[in-house]
This record gives sequence, structure tokens and C-alpha cells, in this order.
Amino acid sequence: MTTLRAFTCDDLFKFNNINLDPLTETYGIPFYLQYLAHWPEYFIVAEAPGGELMGYIMGKAEGSVAREEWHGHVTALSVALEFRRLGLAAKLMEMLEEISERKGGFFVDLFVRVSNQVAVKMYKQLGYSVYRTVIEYYSASNGEPDEDAYDMRKALSRDAEKKSIIPLPHPVRPEDIE
Amino acid sequence: MAARGHVQDPNDRRLRPIYDYLDNGNNKMAIQQADKLLKKHKDLHCAKVLKAIGLQRTGKQDEAFTLAQEVAVLEPTDDNSLQALTILYREMHRPELVTKLYEAAVRKVPTSEEYHSHLFMAYARVGEYKKMQQAGMALYKIVPKNPYYFWSVMSLVMQAISAQDEKLSQTMFLPLAERMVEKMVKEEKIEAEAEVQLYFMILERLGKYVEALEVVQGPLGEKLTSELQSRENKCMMLYRRLERWAECNALSCKLLLKNPDDWQFYILYFDSLFYLIDQSWAPPQEGAHSAEGEVHASTAQAISFMEDRIVTEEAKESKHLRGPYLARLELIRRLRERSCPEAQQLGEPLELMFQFFVKFGDKPCCITDLEIFLDLFTPDQHVQFINRLMEAVPLGAPGEDGVALPGDTRALQRHLCVTQLSRSLGQQHALNTEGKLGLIKELKAHYRHGLQFGKSCLKTELQFSDMYCLMAAHVYIDLWLETGDQNMLWQCLGLLEEGLSHSSSNAQFNFPYPLYIYMFPISSWRHLILNFKEYLLTRYAESLGQFAAASQSCNFSLRFFHSNQKDTSEYIIQAYKYGAFEKIPEFIAFRNRLNHSLHFAQARTERMLLDLFLEADTSSPLEESVKSMSLCPEEDDIPWDSLRDNRDLTVLVSWNPKDRQLNEEHKQHSLEDDTLWLRLRSLTLRLIGCVSALTHPPTSRNSEKTTENGVAAKPSSLQSLLSQLENTLNQATQFTEKQLQYPFVGPVPSRLAQALSSGCCQCQLSSLQLPLHLQELETAGLDESTELQTQISNLFKSLAVQLQDMLEKCKGDLLEVKDDQSKPQQFLLENLVYFVETVCIVLWVSNYCGSVLRPLKSSLQKKKKKKKEVSTVTPPVLSAYQEFSSSLQSLLNQALEHIKSQEISLTALKLGALSLEGQTQSEVRTFTKTAMDKVQSSYLRSLQEIGELLKKRADTLKSLKI
Repeated sequence: MTTLRAFTCDDLFKFNNINLDPLTETYGIPFYLQYLAHWPEYFIVAEAPGGELMGYIMGKAEGSVAREEWHGHVTALSVALEFRRLGLAAKLMEMLEEISERKGGFFVDLFVRVSNQVAVKMYKQLGYSVYRTVIEYYSASNGEPDEDAYDMRKALSRDAEKKSIIPLPHPVRPEDIE
Repeated sequence: MAARGHVQDPNDRRLRPIYDYLDNGNNKMAIQQADKLLKKHKDLHCAKVLKAIGLQRTGKQDEAFTLAQEVAVLEPTDDNSLQALTILYREMHRPELVTKLYEAAVRKVPTSEEYHSHLFMAYARVGEYKKMQQAGMALYKIVPKNPYYFWSVMSLVMQAISAQDEKLSQTMFLPLAERMVEKMVKEEKIEAEAEVQLYFMILERLGKYVEALEVVQGPLGEKLTSELQSRENKCMMLYRRLERWAECNALSCKLLLKNPDDWQFYILYFDSLFYLIDQSWAPPQEGAHSAEGEVHASTAQAISFMEDRIVTEEAKESKHLRGPYLARLELIRRLRERSCPEAQQLGEPLELMFQFFVKFGDKPCCITDLEIFLDLFTPDQHVQFINRLMEAVPLGAPGEDGVALPGDTRALQRHLCVTQLSRSLGQQHALNTEGKLGLIKELKAHYRHGLQFGKSCLKTELQFSDMYCLMAAHVYIDLWLETGDQNMLWQCLGLLEEGLSHSSSNAQFNFPYPLYIYMFPISSWRHLILNFKEYLLTRYAESLGQFAAASQSCNFSLRFFHSNQKDTSEYIIQAYKYGAFEKIPEFIAFRNRLNHSLHFAQARTERMLLDLFLEADTSSPLEESVKSMSLCPEEDDIPWDSLRDNRDLTVLVSWNPKDRQLNEEHKQHSLEDDTLWLRLRSLTLRLIGCVSALTHPPTSRNSEKTTENGVAAKPSSLQSLLSQLENTLNQATQFTEKQLQYPFVGPVPSRLAQALSSGCCQCQLSSLQLPLHLQELETAGLDESTELQTQISNLFKSLAVQLQDMLEKCKGDLLEVKDDQSKPQQFLLENLVYFVETVCIVLWVSNYCGSVLRPLKSSLQKKKKKKKEVSTVTPPVLSAYQEFSSSLQSLLNQALEHIKSQEISLTALKLGALSLEGQTQSEVRTFTKTAMDKVQSSYLRSLQEIGELLKKRADTLKSLKI
């Protein structure tokens, strides 16, 4: 019971209800415009019949094909409180995976706060596994300690042997990731 | 700054340290290093430009510009200089100079792909579409790469979009663009998806839908793969435009079979169905129904299609989709609208909605889903509906207080949904005071009971029962508005405090309710992207005298809007690079929408006014402040006719019934309200600019420059601005007489009504009229102006009276204690702020008056001395002015005393000791007390800030002596 469509600039004026969620980052406008300019197909919004925005996913394709690192990346995925528990996040992830398949990606990856257990659990259910831990990836503003991130991955059909998701034995620092 | 690539170039090595200094923000060292380098290598132009960047960043704009021009006139062609100049010009906000730079560069090196491409981007930054078209073509001729060709085509499309003359677009630009693409198609040179997208865009804009359809369905359409369902979506759009309802219907059917939850296709399915029925469409004798397959063209088919969807859904074991069930309700609505008796075949809405509730009642979205179909009921069904739903809410046995509670979160969610629906149906509003108090008790019980399910919730998670708390707060507000009982308000604030203590991340508890009463610290608010927060904060912080907070939120907004202006161009360029052509017009429209934002204009105006009120003539002279903000009285930079209201009011949760919800009339009224207030403020600001220019007329030495900055005001602009202000005031008075009330959860009223009732607008107008007469007096002199002098004297007197009246309206207790209850009277604070603002303006005007009267007085004294006359009468205007200054002195003293006494009594007030009716639990009392403490300290803070400002103003009084 959702209209799934491309995210447009005007949606920036009315997606506040989604971003009120404490774990959803609100970026500056340039950040969203960058995604719209470069990967418009990866920025999808779900709209309720009454016109409310229910959730959105924003992603990109990046990495070297030669090194078999070409992949889809989930930059942001958020669903408004009242539209949770409907499988909407899963649907949006499925779409991002489908787009990445078409682009010939080897895998899809995403970063998630270690503390965000709800999200980690959901990604695991969707077939993602922890590839590595990134130390102090999320910087805190209010004096609290920086938080680690899980880099979670799911192999796409191009990586038939699932080489891309073999977990790294040691955590890495943010400056070590590309 | 980007590191330059060629390591072998010795100049790069020499420049390296300067780049590093600049990158690290060490501008001084960068300048020094550049100077050192320039001593040895006079011709190293780039060093000069880098020095200019350093100068620009240290505030020496003029020097930087001169230095940069020294290099620019040489028309450099080295990468380093060009890039550095580009950066400099961008920082100077002079993107048009970049185009000049690269125009020269391509003239000198006509075969450079890089410079041509920079030139194209430079044009893109300033929106020179025609030149972009030519630059794109020039590029393609040098290097025949497809993207360059299509940059040129897109620039034609942009000319079409931006052309004032639609005919020109349709007959020249777009057809030319079409031919350019067709040429490539014929030569089979189309390579990328973006190129097909662009072709599609052109055909669509030309209204050539048939041709567009051929492209999408033909071999070129196969390239449309990035976006999911791209071809289907495009076809659907074209079928609609072409009114090919059969295809539209068949395609919706197909897509719904694939995804029975996609609402947009249900809507299209129904739309097309009824068009087909109205056209009595019949399938062809033989062959397929349509190019997209089977078509439904009768109500019976639609009903069975819906029923099939539901049967399929029911057959699934889990994860039922809501789409089919809601689509059935939508079909009933549409059949009823057409008075089709078949609507009954689908079932009784009440029963269907009950079934929906049984299935999905434990999802938080159930309320949003059902809310849109509540109008299928007759009013007498409402109670029946709620009772029926309650049957499917598992609650335990009623406790001592008679409230039956849920045993788990699912049951809680179900009960919450029914409660929300009951509010939506107006049942809560229909209760009398006693009923509402009972309801609040029940809601609180549910809220507190529900907290046990969220004991393990993280700080970032909300409590399951938060919405009960919010709803109880809403009912308190209903009661407060109905009865005017202050106690309801305190309890509401206390309850919100309680909510926050359990669920600190719930933004709804912080939303604007408390603002009506007091200001609270900004940091407790989550950042929203498009300034709704700043909009509210500026509105309240300023009117309640918390100037620092108001400045801060204005600054935040302005930073946001200014960076938007700069950034959007960069992303337009990126969209060209990545071939996201359809995003380019979208970005441009977005930029315009933000530039025309009402809030942008508000923040600009209020920021300048605040700066003047806070600083001008206390820490720096008025004319300095006016100059530093390049305030130009003649110029109106607000796009009045195209102001956009970009507030996202939907972010505030409410379950009010339809007739109490925010509607278009409210939005329109609120926009008008804010616009009128903005107009008043902007005129006041410009008039202050006039007064400043009159007081300190530009001296001849640098007159040229000041005029350029627009500070010189002509008397004519004073006159015209005054009459505009007068007109706007009249409009404003009429407007406030309409007295439309906004829903509580909706837009907030502007400061207009309170400002008018405080008398400040009229008083400011009167004072701003003085300079006109003083100018006249300046020309006429003291000797032959008795009538004029009397007029001016009367103005002074009336001004003193008006100010005294305003001050009287500030008197009273901010927290009035009566019958053991306290009542916040924040309007007294607002009046005080208006008084202070008016005092500022009056002081600036008086300063000007003094500057006119002073020379008149001294020449009079000289004359007296010459003639050796023994004292004669002082001219009336001089004595009136002196009287006025001393009455100002006494007014300010009174005001300061009032503020001081309020501070003392507020500090002494022990709110917690007051009886809190009906609040027996000590914990609850604590929350209410917390709210009271917040109000108290907020008011104290306001008083302090207002008092400080007023003291500073009082100190300037002595400069009025003549």
C-alpha cells in the first residue's frame, strides 16, 4: 500500500517526519543533491495513499570492476515510525539490490551503528553479514565517545563464490576504508 | 584545494607550500610565502592568485580583486593560474568572471578539450544556456564524444525551459533539439541511456507523445535500464497523456499482478476503468484487447479483479499486504461517488474496515490507512464503528480505576489505534469538561502502563505508549482553549515533561506547544532540514526578547540559504557530467523555491533588524552597521509576488477530526499573515537606513563609493517608504480584524496582531515621520518657521505620549498569581520587546533631529552674541526637543525599574508551593514543577536580555544634547 517512486528535490521539503527518527542522519542539502545528480535511480521514496512520505533509500554504485569491488552501497535507509513493521525497508533494499544487479555489481554493502541492534538484526534477516568492523566510524558531537560501525555485505549473483563477503579477521580504521 | 598532478613541473614544487598553507587555513603564511616566491620569480602568476586567495580569506577583498585582475588581464593559460582564479572568483561570488577567464583561454589554445570543458561548466554556473549550447558544440568538434554533443542539446532544452515566450520554445529551441538528436539516431550513434532520456524529455515537452512512446517501446527504449520499471512508468505516463485508457488499464492490471501493494497503479486502474465505462469501450472483434493485453471496462470486472486480489492475499500464510484491502475500500468510494448500486457487492465499509483492523490493527500505520476512509460512514455509524473495533482489542480486566489495560505491545497498538480513530471522528471533542478530564485520566493510565513494555528500549528508541501521552497533552490543550483554565496548560506542560523523561528522543514532545508560553534552549531540538525549527525559534525567541537565541537561529537559516545558492550550481554541473539531464530543471526549480522562501526573506530582514537593535549606536555607529550590511533603502530585494511558504507543517502529529484540521484557508491566511508582518519589518528596516543616511550624509570625498553601496538615501525614498508603511499598516489592521484561528497543531500566528495591539507600529511610524519635517526646518531655518516648529513640537509631544502608553501596556506580572494559581502572561514580555525596539528607533530618529537642531541652535547663539541681545525666548522646536529628550530619560528609567522589579518578584516566586489542583502524586507534581521552573527561568532570561539592551540604550541618551 505504497507508491514507490524516484525521490525528487521537492521531497526534501516534506521528509521531515522520517528524519525525526533519532538514528536517522539529516545531511546538508548538497549531500542529497549530489546523490540526485549522480545516482538518481538509487534514490527511491515510498509514499502513502494520503501523501505522507513513508520512507526512503539512498544509495550509489562505486568501486573498481577490475578488483571485483564494483558494488552497490546503501548510504541511507529510513522508514517513518508509523510505517514500520510493514516490510518497507526490506522492499526498498530489494530494489537497491536489483539495481545493483543490473549494474553488474559484485555485492551490496552498508554501514550501521554497532548499537543499532534493530537494524543489524534486520539486515541479517535480509541476508547481510558483518564483513568488518570500522572503529569509531561515527563521530559523536555531544562529548560521547565515537561509535564503531559494522560494514555489512551481501553478495550479488556476479560474485557466485561469495568471495566479497568473507569477513576480515581484524577491525579497520575509517581512514583504511575506501 | 585540489593537489596538482604534474610533479615534474618545478613551479608546482614552488607553489606547493602555498597550497598547503591555504588548505590548512593559514592564510597569513600563504601570503608571506607567495610574496617570497614572487620576489624571486616575478612572472609566477599563480603565486599572485594564491596570494589573492589568502587576502580574500582574510577579509581584504579589494586588494585581492586588484591582484587577481593583474593576472586575469594577462589571459593566463597555465592550469595552476586558471584553477586558482576559478576558486578565487567563486569565493568572491563572481562566477561570471570565470567565463571571461576561459573565453580568453580557449581563444589562445583553441584545441584544448580541458579549457573548452571548463568554459562550458563556467557558463553552466551562471546559467548562460545559449553560450553553453555553443560551447558544447565547439567541444564536440574538437573531440567528437557523445556527451559533449548532448550537453549542447540539453542546453537547447534549457533555453526552451527558461524562455519567456512559450512559442519560441515550441517552434525553435525544442524542434532544433529534436533534430539534433534525430541526426544521431539516424547515424546510429546513440550510446548511452542518458541520451535516450534526453530524447524522451524533448519529445515529451514538445507534446509528441506518440513519438515518445515509439522511442520507449522501440530498440532505443532497451537502454532505459537504470531505474526500475523505467519503461513501464514512461509508457504509463504517455498512455495517460494520450488518453489511451485501454492500454493504461491493461498495464495497471499487469503491474498490480506483479506488485499488488503499489497504490499508484490502483489509482490509475480505477481512473482508466471509469473513463472506459464512460466511453462505453468495447474490445475489438478479434485480436488482443490492447497493446498491453487484457482490459477491464466494466464494474463487474473491476469488482472481480479486486476480489481476486484479496483471495490471493488471503491465501498467503504471512505478510499480508494492505494494498488489496484498501483498494477495495477505494473502489467502494468511487462507485458511491458515481451512485453505482454495485458498491454494495463489495461489502459494508464498516465491516470491511473492521476486518482490516483485525488484520492490521497492531501496525502503527493502521490509523493513517483507515483515516482516509472514515468519510464512508454516516455520522450515526461512528459509535457503532468504534464499539465494533473494541471487540478486537484484547484488554485485561478493569483495574481499580476502572481502566482496562492491554497485556502486550500488539494489544496496546490496537487500543491506541481505536483511540486515535475516536479522536479523528470527533468523539473526544464532543465530550464535556468532565468527560475530557476522565479521558485524560484514562490516556495517562494507558501511557504509564505501557511504559513497562519499553523498559529495555535504548535511548534512541521511543516508548510504545508515547502517543497516549501526546494525545492527553492535546486534550489538555483542548480544555485550556475551551475554558481558559491555566491549570490545564501547566498540566499539559508537565505531562510533556513526563513524556520527555521517558523518551528523550521523541521530537513530538518538544514540538511547538511549549513555545506559546516560553522559549526553551535550542539544543533540545532535533535538526530538521528545511528550517521549520529555525522559523519557529526566530518567531518566538525574538518576540520574547531572547535576542541571542534569535540571532543564532537566523544565522543558521542564512547559512543554509546562502550555501544553497552556491551549491546548487555545482550539482547542476554534476548532473551534466553524469548525464542526469532530467534532474537539471528540477535542481533549478529547487533553487528558486529556496531563494523565494518566505523564511529566507524573514531571516534576512530580522537578522538585520536584530543587529541594529542590539548594536547600532551602542557598540558601533548606526551608519557603520547600515553600511556593513549593505542595506540600501531604495532597494527592495524581497520577491513579494513569488514568496514560497516552504514550512513542513505535516511534521506535527495530530489526530484532529477533519473540520479541525489544518486546511488550505489556514495555510493561505498564515502566508498572508507572515507576508504582511515581513512587509512591515522590511519597510521599517529600510526607513532606518534612510534615517542613518540623513544623519550621516556621505561626504564628497568618498561619495561615489557610498552611493555605490547604496547608503545615500534621497528624501524622495523617505517619503515613499513612509506612505508604503502607512498603507501596509492599514492593510495589517484590516487583516487582524478577520481573527481567523489556526488549529493548535498548525502554523503559528505571526507577531502582527500583538505588535499592533502594543501600539508599536503606529509609534514607530510617527517617529519615522519626524525626519521629513526636520528636513523642511533645516531649509527654512528658525526664523520664519513658527508654524512648522509648532507642528514638530506637537509631534514630539505626541510621541512621548505614545511611548508612555506603550510602556503602560508592559506593566503587570509576567507570572500572575491569583487564587493560588499562576498564569503566564507572555504578552507582557512581547509588549516590552516592542517597547524596546521602538525606543531604539526613536533614539536614532532623535539623534538625527539633534544633528539638525544643533547647528541651528549654535548659529542662533552666535547671532545673539553679535546683537548682544539679552535672552529672548528659545524657539519652540528647541525647547520641545529638550523636553522630549528628558521625557525619554524618564521613560527609560521607568522601564528599567519595571524590569528590575519583575526580575526580583519572579526570582522570589515559589511556583512549586502553589497548589496544583488535582495532582496528588508527588512524581507528577515534580514534572509540573519542572515545567514551571522552565517557564520561570525562561522569563528571567528574557528580562535580563531586554534589561541589558535597554540599559545600553539609556547610556546613549546623553548624545542627544544640543
